[in-house]
This record gives sequence, structure tokens and C-alpha cells, in this order.
Amino acid sequence: MSEPKIEGYKFKPGYSGMAADTASDQTMFKGVHWGKAMMWIFLLSDTFIFSCFLISYMKGRASTPVEWPNPSEVFALNAFGVPVPLLLIAIMTFVLITSSGTMALAVKYGYERNRKMCGWLILATALGGLTFVGMQAFEWSKLIHEGVRPWENPFGAPQFGSFFFMITGFHGTHVSIGVIFLFIYAYKTFAGHYDEGKRGWFTSMKGDYVEIEILGLYWHFVDLVWVFIFAFFYLW
Amino acid sequence: MSEDYNDNKTIQAQSSETISGEGGAGVTSDTDYVRPAEVADQDLYHGHSFITKWVFCQDAKVIGVQYFLLATFTGIIGLILSWLMRLQLGFPELAGFMTAEHYYQFVTMHGMIMVVYFLTALFLGGFGNYLIPLMVGARDMVFPYVNMVSFWMFFVAVGVLLASFFVPGGPTGSGWTLYPPQAILEGTPGSGMGIILMCVSLILFVAGFTMGGLNYLITVLQARTRGMTLMRMPLTVWGIFTATVLAMLAFPALLVSALMMSLDKLLGTSFFMPTILKAGEVLEYGGGTPILFQHLFWFFGHPEVYIVALPAFGIISDLISVHSRKNIFGYRMMVWAIVIIGALSFFVWAHHMYVSGMHPWFGFFFATTTLIIAVPTAMKVYNWILTLWRGNIRLNVVMLWCLGFIVTFVNGGITGIFLGNVTVDVPLSDTYFVIAHFHMVMGIAPLMVIMGAVYHWFPLVTGRMLSEKLGKWHFWFTFLGAYSIYFPMHYLGFIGVPRRYFEMYDSPYVTSAVGMNEFISTAAFIVGAAQFILIYNIVTSLKIGKPAGKNPWQANSLEWLTPTVPPEHGNWGDKLPVVHRWPYDFSVPGAKEDFITQTTPPSEVAETEVEKT
Amino acid sequence: MHAGIIFLLVIVGSVLFHIFTPWYWTDIASNWGAMDDTITLTFWVGGGVFVAVCLFMVYCVFKFSYKENRKAEYKPEDKKLERILTWATTLGVAALLAPGLIVWNQYINVPKNAINIDVMAWQWGWQYRLPGEDGKLGSTKVENINDNNPFGIILEDPNGKDDVLIQSDVIHLKNNRPVKILLRSVDVLHNWYVPQFRAKMDAVPGVVTYYWFEPNKVGEYEVLCAEYCGVGHYAMRGRVFVKNEQDYENWLYEQETFSDLIAKQEEIELSQVKLAKK
Repeated sequence: MSEPKIEGYKFKPGYSGMAADTASDQTMFKGVHWGKAMMWIFLLSDTFIFSCFLISYMKGRASTPVEWPNPSEVFALNAFGVPVPLLLIAIMTFVLITSSGTMALAVKYGYERNRKMCGWLILATALGGLTFVGMQAFEWSKLIHEGVRPWENPFGAPQFGSFFFMITGFHGTHVSIGVIFLFIYAYKTFAGHYDEGKRGWFTSMKGDYVEIEILGLYWHFVDLVWVFIFAFFYLW
Repeated sequence: MSEDYNDNKTIQAQSSETISGEGGAGVTSDTDYVRPAEVADQDLYHGHSFITKWVFCQDAKVIGVQYFLLATFTGIIGLILSWLMRLQLGFPELAGFMTAEHYYQFVTMHGMIMVVYFLTALFLGGFGNYLIPLMVGARDMVFPYVNMVSFWMFFVAVGVLLASFFVPGGPTGSGWTLYPPQAILEGTPGSGMGIILMCVSLILFVAGFTMGGLNYLITVLQARTRGMTLMRMPLTVWGIFTATVLAMLAFPALLVSALMMSLDKLLGTSFFMPTILKAGEVLEYGGGTPILFQHLFWFFGHPEVYIVALPAFGIISDLISVHSRKNIFGYRMMVWAIVIIGALSFFVWAHHMYVSGMHPWFGFFFATTTLIIAVPTAMKVYNWILTLWRGNIRLNVVMLWCLGFIVTFVNGGITGIFLGNVTVDVPLSDTYFVIAHFHMVMGIAPLMVIMGAVYHWFPLVTGRMLSEKLGKWHFWFTFLGAYSIYFPMHYLGFIGVPRRYFEMYDSPYVTSAVGMNEFISTAAFIVGAAQFILIYNIVTSLKIGKPAGKNPWQANSLEWLTPTVPPEHGNWGDKLPVVHRWPYDFSVPGAKEDFITQTTPPSEVAETEVEKT
Repeated sequence: MHAGIIFLLVIVGSVLFHIFTPWYWTDIASNWGAMDDTITLTFWVGGGVFVAVCLFMVYCVFKFSYKENRKAEYKPEDKKLERILTWATTLGVAALLAPGLIVWNQYINVPKNAINIDVMAWQWGWQYRLPGEDGKLGSTKVENINDNNPFGIILEDPNGKDDVLIQSDVIHLKNNRPVKILLRSVDVLHNWYVPQFRAKMDAVPGVVTYYWFEPNKVGEYEVLCAEYCGVGHYAMRGRVFVKNEQDYENWLYEQETFSDLIAKQEEIELSQVKLAKK
């Protein structure tokens, strides 16, 4: 890892040097954009939200008196007449992880000031997210059709429905918010706001390609959380 | 619109500092060198209409005052509710209009308002917004727009909270801990709209606070001025910063529990609801676990105590130091104590649940962690009194509040050792001992700090001094009154009087306590009324108070060193301050005066024996 | 100066209040004297620290009040002093913690000869169930509760048949015999608390919680609900009588068992059927 170059500042070696750098004046994280630092801390806070959800889920699942339904049966999908466990969810996960890749590329092209490529890749990411939300809506309606509700569940413990709809719903909301911002940022990229440093509508701060990286952090986080939700709901 | 911005002033690019201003003769000096700024000067939006300057304002100082006023307003509602409760407890014959439902609603709203909407909002939103940018030498919070939205989210949260007074069934009366299942079942007042609005309001508060909190954190981490190292920050900033970290990590648990409870109420899920038999009928719920809510709630609830306490610790350290004209004793210890207390506060939550029916083995772990916290806390107390020792103590109103804080905090802290130690907690939990303890330690003690801070920083905010004479009356009424409310109350707990009792009937062992209840209630009325002395003081001092001038307390920290008093938007005029030392260089041997401000370069005080820089 | 005097009076007053207070704990009527001892110990140590810190503060106020020509000491830190204070505090805290943990260990380990008592709470009242001659309580289920089966005992469970049912908020206990209180609730949180016994624990719907004590003083005591349980919380009282062995056995003999209850109901049903036939 190469350290950022800060005018007039020399990074010090070793652990004590690291402590000294951390405690030095002006900034703790040298060369890190304010917005990026903010997003990291926000994501830390958000991690605690999802952790609370998942720990509650574990506790709820462990203490319910009724049998927990078997996920590979509940989430199976009929493909050509054969029930394939976790088919839809595998596709959903694939789409979402792929969209992380396009997002990373968008950030790269953004910093290269390649406005077109950056814009298209953001759009591709947004479409990936949209597909994910769409498939989740399909899965929800399938479960609802089969009689699963937040308050009841024909396959076993009613808490299954409660936790499933709440946690995937909360995650889906995150994805949807991300998609909305991706569309806005795609527009702003194509319109050249980041090249000109045009001021934002609300915040009146100058546009910069770093914003795309910040949104990218959020997007990768949402993907990462999905991996955990996937593991806890579908594989356990 | 371009005239609204001070587009990139290029003042940060000075490669070597030249001594200028008061004592300097324009000589370049190596000892005074501070490396150039890393980031460009902040780009600010300057409001130019009434609305953008005073209502939807992006200036952290205005937002701080807005937070302060709104929090105080809700606090006064909380105060009035406490009066009503004390009327019922002390003089039930005068409180004929009050039913048990009312009583429990008042208890609940009083608790929630005071803890979340008053103390948290006041310390972090009020003092945090006003002081952080000034004390670290920033022009403003790093995201002024988000900061503004934060306040208005808080405004809406308060609105929703107060709206619950006017819905059918009234506000929730489930106790501020909102324990299910009773919180959402009939038999508890306000179990309909009341509890829903409470959950919604809390969720809004958390969302709004997160926006503000991100600002406080990034401003402290990434927007300090040149020379402002972490170990040169005033303890006020350390306290608010650490409390904000706690809030960012603890509020998620509150958000999740409020969300899950709303779903239990609205959709009929059973996260917290086991099989329940009510009025001979088995309800639709089943299979949930009520103790899960308690864990989530206290995972938020215990750090919340320190979210209130840590800013108070920080502020009081600064006040004591300035007004005893002595450096804070053991600054590094103080910083580490704040950080350690903050970290440990995430490992003690279940000491609120010793008798909740959780697995009894947890008792060993949580009693141990809880008592470990007593050590850094005690160190802070020692350092406060050691700061007074061999100081040159100005016994003004601010110092009185500081002394009052030390007495009440030590008192409340020690009763905390009773309740934290698992066995001792068993007979005392859920009695008036608990009420006395937490009011002393996180009600009265932080209130003493708030008052001290108001008297201390009022001259900065308004440019005028508050009246010392009225201040002394205000202090003695408040301190003596509050102490005589809560000190005897512990003994009600020893008798065994449980909390949240609308009335005791004629239980044989509490008849002796009737007299005490009357006394406590009378004291409560007086203390509450005494707060109007402060309001009167503020209102009159705004007009006729003595003009404060610059730095009236001869303090060192940056907030007093702005070019204009009160500071304007952008705080520092053309040139950001450069920091050369910690903020506690008081009474340095060899110095002409008994204070050396943070911006004084070493060459100006070369003849002194400054130890720490 | 006046300020120092008033603070001094506050501290002296606190100590005097503690010494002369007529409000103090009720006479203990159970084996948990150890809890009172830990409280007393904490009082001595904690009270000592409180008085010492506050007196030192008052001393500073008297001694170091502002004088124009005096300069405060400049001493940013004193490592040695800080180290001494840290270790002394740690030691004091450990001295308080250790007895606490030891007594807690006793509190959660129930003696073998304890009588199990099922305490069932609802909004807003109590009822009790004692094991019959087999010494075992039958298992229960909330869904089973109805007029004929007020405790929701599972009918198939043979242990439940001889259970003694006390459908009243008054319970009798045998003096000098440990009891294990098994708490359950059918609706919300409650807490069965008798101040004289010192011990308490929440009743949580959905699970059974427990604690134990050994009553050691014959007499009548009031039961309070110590966990907020809705609008009737303050009125949720009961009574406990601690009795000598003979009085206790006499009382127990008069109580109805679950099989008595079933038999009585069958009788009633039979007579109703007969009436209908006539």
C-alpha cells in the first residue's frame, strides 16, 4: 500500500509511528475525502443495524417452540418441472455481485474522467440493482401466494415469515435507495456535472467524481450484507 | 448564485508560518513552524434571507442554538410532567384529577423526553454543534446541509412525540423502557396510537441523529485546523466525540427494537410476543421472546447513559480547569478514561437485567464488567478534585455548578456500584433506590454541567454576561433542592418501595414514608420553579447584561479566539487559526499572565517553562 | 467562602441523615442476610469514598480560593500519584465485587430440599400451585388454561394430578424450609417480590424463571409486583404467611388438589346430565 502524499508531512514507521500519524493534526485519515470518511462511518453504523437484525433472527429462530421450515424446500423453484433448491436466489446473488463489479469499473472510469464509460457502467449497476429488486418482489409474491405472511407461515414457525419479510425488506429498501441514487448519479455523470464541478441541487456543494466512489462504497456494502442474509436465511 | 460562496480562498498555502499579530515582529522562526493545510478551505453556503439564515440555516452555531432551544422546550414539558407525578405521590388528595392511566403516561413521557429528547439532543445537538467546529478550528461542520436536515428531523421527531398527547388513548404509558408484551397490549395506557407514535418518533430521532452524528465525527476526525492534534483537543470535544461514536453504534439497536415492536403492533408479528392469555382468551401471538427486546433496548440503553455522561465529563473538565486557573490534572489519563469508558459501555448492558429472568450466569460477567468501569470513572473524579488542588479557584457561578456536579456525580456514581454489583442489586432493583440513583447520576449531575456550560458560554453566544447574583440564587435553589429530593429517596428504596407505583395504599412498612414523599414533592416544586430564574436571567441579560468582550474568562481554547464575538458564519474571518499548544496552559511559571492561548506561538512565550505542547 | 461552608454542611448532613434515618430496610425474614451484608460493606467503602472526595473538594475551596497575587501550580500530570490511585481503586472495587459474586452463586444454586412453588401471575393477580406427595409439579401450557383447569396443567402428565392448587393471592410457607419460586406469567412481565425476603425475579411469559429463599421468621408479609405490568401494577398485591410446621401442614391439608378439582367438576357435570335427563 502506498501512502498518500501530504505536503509537508512525513509518515512515520512502525506501530508507534502509526499511532503518531493517527493522532497528528488536521486529519486522522490522511488524504481521505470527507464524504468518503462519512460513508465509512455511516456503514459502520448500518452494520450494527443489520447485526441487530441478524442476531435477533438467530435468537428468535433458536427459541421458537414451533419447527423452523426447511429453507431448501421453501425457497425451491420449479425449473422444467424439477424443483431446484435456491435457484432464484442463486441468480439474484449473481446479479447483485456482478453489479458490484460494474460499480467498481464505473469508479475507475470516473477517476479517469471517462464520462461516457462511467455513466454507462453506473446505469448497468442500476439495472442490476433493479433486476435484483424485481426478483425479490417475485420471490415475495411467490411466498405470499403460498400463504406465508409476516404473522403466519404454513410451513412452520410464524417467526420465519416475520424475520424473512422484515430483513429482506429492509435490505431491499437499501438496494432501492441505492438504485435511485445510481440513476441520479448516472444523469449527473452524463450531464457532466462532475467534470464541471457543478453545484448540487440541495447541498450546493461542487460535484466531483469522488461522489461516485462514495456511492460505490454504499453499493458494495449492500452486496456484502446480502451475502450474510443469504447465508443466514437460505443456507442455515 | 455565485455571490453566495467564498470560492476557495487560498489562505491555506503558506509553507512556513511567520510570526505576526500581537507580539511578533514578522520574523520567521523554526520553533513556530506548523506545516501547511492538507485540505482546501471549506466552501460554505451563506444564507441571505431570513429563512436561510435563521430557519433552514446551515451554520452549525445557529443549528446548535436551535437544538438547544427545542431540547429545552421539550425538557420543560418533561419538568411539568414530573411536577404532576410528584403531586400525585406527595399530595394525592390534591391530584384528584389524575388517574393511574395519566400517571403512567406522565412517567413514561417524562423519562423518554428527559433521556433522549432533552439530554441527548442538548449535549450532542446543542453543545456539539456549537462547540465542535469552534474548538477544533473548523469553519463549520463538514456537511452543513446534512446538519440542517438533522435538526429538522429532530424537530419532526419531537412533533410526533408530542402529537401522541392528542391521539385517542393518549401517549404510551409503558414506562420509558417500553417493555413488551405490556407496551402493545390493552391494560397499558396508550397501547394503541401512543406506542406507535413513540416508535415512529424514536426512529425519526435516530435517523436525524445519525446525520448530525456523522457531521460531528468527521469534523473532529478530518477537519481540525493546523496544529490541532488529537491530544491538543479540549476534553469537551473528546467527550462529545466519544459520545457520538457510542450513539452511532448504540442507536441501531434502538431503531431495530422500535421497528420490530411497531411490526408486532401493526402487522401482528410475534418477535417479542409469546403465547398470551388475556381476559380468558388466547391471543393470536405466539413463539416470540420478550427478553430479546430487553437485550436490544439495553444494548442501546446503557451506552445511552454514557452518551449523556461523556459530554458532561468533557465539559466539566474544561470548566473546572478554566475557573481554577490550573491545567486539567492528568489530561492523557482523562482522554483515555473517556475512551475506555466508552468502549466498556458496550459490554455492560445486561446489568439492567439481573432480575429479568435471563440466564443467571450472565450475572457474573456483567457484574464484573460493570465494576471495571468504576475504575476509569473514579480516576476522572480524582483528576477533577486534583485540578482544584493548588489551583486558584474563582468561586463564580460556573465553579459552583462544577462543585455541585462533583458532589452529585460522586454520590450517584457510588450508588451505581450498589446496583452494578449483582447481589446488591437484587433487593434494590425496581425500587426507589434505582430512581434516586439514576436521577442523581444522569439527571442532576449532567444538569449541573449544562447549567455551568450555559453560564460559561452564554457570553460567547450572545456577547453578554449573565447576572452572577441571579445565577447564585439559581444554583443554590437547584443544587440544595435537587439533592434533598434524591438523597432521601434512596432510603425509600431500602424500605422496599417499588418503582412505578401510582399509590401505595396502606402497606405497613411504607406509612412512615408518607412524610418523606411530601417533603420530596415540595422540594421538586421548588427546584422546578427555580429554573425560571435562569429563564428570567437569560431574557433580561440579552438586553441589559454586561457586554462580555473578547474572552471574558481568560480561557485558552479556540472558541474564545474568534475575530468577532459572537463568532460569525465561517467562524474565523479570512484566516484559520493555527494551534501551537494544548488548551490548558494556565498559570505557567514565567508567563506574564495566568493563561496562554492555544494560538500563542512558542517564540512568544520562550521564557516560560511549558511542559506539554 | 460561604459556598464551602454550605457544601460542608451538605456532606455532614448526608452522613447524619444516614446515621439517624428512621427510613431503613425492613427486618429481614429470610436467609439472605448476606445481601444485607454486601450492602453494608458497599455502604462503608462507597460512603467513605464519597465523604473523602467531597471533604477534599471543600478543603480545596477553602484553601485555594482566588487571590489576585497567587498563581496556581503548573503540573500537567503526576504519573506516580495516578498509578497509586488507579491500583487503590481497583483493589477497592475488587473487594466489593468478590462478595457480590459469591452471594450471587448461592442465589442461583437452589438447595436440594427446596419446595417448588409455581407462582402464576396475570394482569393483575397471583395464584399458586404446590407439588403433591410426589414432590413434583405437573407441566403446564398457557393454552390449557380455562375455568376447569385454572393452571393450564397438561392432563396427560401424571405429576400434575396431585398438585395442590391455591386459587388465591394468599400463600403459606413453612418456616425454615427453603422454597424455590418458579415464576410464570400468562400475559406480561411481573415480579413476585416480598421486601422482607430481599429476593426477587421477573416472571416472563413464555418461560419459567426461578429464585429461592428460606423464610426464617413466622409472620405475615405483603407481596408486591416489582415489574411494571400495566395500569393495575400498583394494586397487584398478595400476602404470604410464614408458619410453623404444624400450622403449615394443617393449612396444606385443607387445600384442594387437581384431582379433587377434576372430580368435583365431573360430579357437577354428572348432576347436570341427570337434571337434563329428568
